[in-house]
Amino acid sequence: MTLTRRLFAALAATTLLAAPALATELQAVRDAGTIRVGMLVDFPPFGIQDASGTPDGYDADVAKALAEHLGVEAQIVPVTGPNRIPYLLSGQVDVLVASLGITAERAERVDFSIPYAGIAIGVYGGTDVAVAGPEDLDGKSIAVARASTQDTGVTEVAPEGTEIRRFDDDATAVQALMSGQVQTIGLSNVVFSQISGVAGDRFDKKFDLSSQVQGIAVAPDSDALLEEINAFVTAAREDGRLDTIHEKWLGEPLPDFVKTDQ
Amino acid sequence: MYRFNFQPVFDNLDMLAHGAWLTVQLSSLAMAIGLVVSVLGAVAKTSGIKPLRWIVDAYVEVIRNTPFLIQIFFIFFGLPALGISMSHNTAALVALVVNVGAYGTEIIRAGIESIPQGQIEAGRALALSPVQIFRHVVLKPALRNIYPSLTSQFIYLMLTSSVVSVISATDLAAAGADLNARTFASFEIYLVLTVLYFLLALGFSTLFATLRRVFFDYPAGR
Repeated sequence: MTLTRRLFAALAATTLLAAPALATELQAVRDAGTIRVGMLVDFPPFGIQDASGTPDGYDADVAKALAEHLGVEAQIVPVTGPNRIPYLLSGQVDVLVASLGITAERAERVDFSIPYAGIAIGVYGGTDVAVAGPEDLDGKSIAVARASTQDTGVTEVAPEGTEIRRFDDDATAVQALMSGQVQTIGLSNVVFSQISGVAGDRFDKKFDLSSQVQGIAVAPDSDALLEEINAFVTAAREDGRLDTIHEKWLGEPLPDFVKTDQ
Repeated sequence: MYRFNFQPVFDNLDMLAHGAWLTVQLSSLAMAIGLVVSVLGAVAKTSGIKPLRWIVDAYVEVIRNTPFLIQIFFIFFGLPALGISMSHNTAALVALVVNVGAYGTEIIRAGIESIPQGQIEAGRALALSPVQIFRHVVLKPALRNIYPSLTSQFIYLMLTSSVVSVISATDLAAAGADLNARTFASFEIYLVLTVLYFLLALGFSTLFATLRRVFFDYPAGR
């Protein structure tokens, strides 16, 4: 399985390297009157499909705002995690507003805008549990989804006396927190925003573990387009448009670690 | 060709051994307590007291007609809402006992009902007390009759205990999953896990065979 997958990845990589990535001209987008936006539809609340099957979510709203900024229509193309970059590089979409985390490896293949969203991993717990930093986890129980980023993060910083309880997924770990079986939990702000909708203000954030910002991606050498996208993100971060969209989907304004990241 | 690398497994044998030990503890305790529950359940079911029979009937039906996964979730996540909170390993034990108790009740009931009425009457004719009759004339031959089904249910219980990792109990399956998450040597780890579970099952079968020779090795009369 690993072998086939590797082979596939290698094949895909050579094909993509061989074919020159198709840069997108800003003028071409304006002339067409539509911008084709690749977006995930299986990554709530960033990308989902609504009851009628239309793409929706944080990314969809950002895509629409971007199209409005450019004075064109947004045509949303559903993509998946593994194929989103190939979609962009082969010119099937003009931009990706696809919750694409900005990493050094990806930055070699695509050009990123300044961050428009972000996911932060942190430790959360009951409001009555006193934890200010990793050292306070000593003697306390913490739930994590096995093998998740949270698991790695918590395992790294937790002192010897921490009782790390590993569950199969976030949902079960959250269930353990809600039913009082654990005192704290390692979780992303995205999932936490969903549970605070259910549990009200019984839980709050204790400290951050790590964060990952996401950018809008364009094919290399689409400089004019990228510049315009950056202008859009900067404006939307400042005038509160992104805050409003973030509030709508994640229950809180755009986090500071995204806003301050250039 | 897949290149096997058992190094991560050998480096973490203590972790797997720890998990295997918890699996053994959990299963043996669940078998012992489950046997008691089963006998009590079977007695209640074969007794003439109707309300008691209804309660046991309901228990057996509910447990035998719902998945174990749901039962363990209910005990671990649901009961705290009613004020009953147990640690993960205790909740795992309780879930296993409750589960095997229901199956055991039915198996032992079948055993008790297989005892011919004449045998009980023979006991009475020998002036045995009701307790003596139950112990020597009914229960022991009953257990002997259903011994293979009961012990295979127990082995199955040991294998089912691999599910308890879902509530973060630290049994053998959980140790394997944690190790897998850290080293990604999935195939090697699950191969070793398979062997370990097989050996555990073999160990329990040997134990049961020995117990059978000790307690039930007498000629069957009909």
